[in-house]
Amino acid sequence: MTAPNSSQRKACWDARDQLWKCLNDNDDKAASCQNFQSEFEAKCPSQWVKYFIKRRNYLKYKEKMQTEGFTSTEGPQQPS
Amino acid sequence: MLGLKCIVGDLCVGGRLPRSLLHVQKTSVSSKSQHVRLYERPPHLPWQTRVCFLSYGQNSPASGAKLKLRTRVLVTLLFGGGLLAMWWFVDLEKQQRLRQQHMEQLQKVALGQGNFSLLDHRGQRRTKQDFLGSWLLLYFGFTHCPDICPDELDRLSAVVSTLDQDTSLPPIQPLFITVDPERDDASALARYVQDFHPRLIGLTGALDEVKEVERDYRVYASPGPKDEDGDYIVDHTILIYLISPDGLFLDYYNRMNNQEQITQSIRNHIKAYVRL
Repeated sequence: MTAPNSSQRKACWDARDQLWKCLNDNDDKAASCQNFQSEFEAKCPSQWVKYFIKRRNYLKYKEKMQTEGFTSTEGPQQPS
Repeated sequence: MLGLKCIVGDLCVGGRLPRSLLHVQKTSVSSKSQHVRLYERPPHLPWQTRVCFLSYGQNSPASGAKLKLRTRVLVTLLFGGGLLAMWWFVDLEKQQRLRQQHMEQLQKVALGQGNFSLLDHRGQRRTKQDFLGSWLLLYFGFTHCPDICPDELDRLSAVVSTLDQDTSLPPIQPLFITVDPERDDASALARYVQDFHPRLIGLTGALDEVKEVERDYRVYASPGPKDEDGDYIVDHTILIYLISPDGLFLDYYNRMNNQEQITQSIRNHIKAYVRL
């Protein structure tokens, strides 16, 4: 399969951005954004869909770490 | 005590001793209320605030007070300006030292020592020798890249275009080397590079040729698992490399460097460059 060209890439990114905007507005409830989801999956190669899902998860996780902080796990006991 | 500060301050200004002594005499003779006010002030006055005292000095003539005020403000500004200039100079030296250290570290690493031999997007064989004499801006990626490679190539193209406008600089040669030679043959690259800078050359080759240049520039590239379409994503380092006309690696730029920083850095390198 040939790689997406410039306009195909742009179409995919726009669909992704619309989906993400919808998810942001609806508190990540996937049910409210079904039409954007199907558009996104139609316009982007399946590998990219998987990649962008992972990317969104990563960005959300990063945001959570930056705003809510985290508790570090207990590492191996250091000799005092 | 304030009188003492007056004298010291005036000595700093440089030689207005007689006038200040006169002033001290006058304030000591002044009314009780003024005397009380003097002691109400906090003990450690910076000498600049004395300007306030002088400005409502009842006993000194108005023009004299104004002259002293202006002089003191001027001296303060000069002093402050001098301090700023010193700080700026020291900071400049520090930047220079940091740049020097950065260069030395990169020279120790000595990337790109080998000679690559690849096919360009028109199917012509190109070796490292062919590019000697030009400044190169190198990026490793692949055409099936979801977002990062087009983004970086856009940035790279914008940098080269900006530098093109400066006629005092030689033209930079942008290069795109694929980390996915299995799918990115010459025609795939030709389709891809047309979306970016007109001088961008795409390079591919046999698997071992590409692996050799990846090793040379210490590029990490790892193809991911294939899905049912046979599609996969290649995880790889995201860096733009600057190569001198002698084929030596000079600097690199990552996602944290913005376009203006990269442009300026390249400009500095070209200006500082001395041919071997």
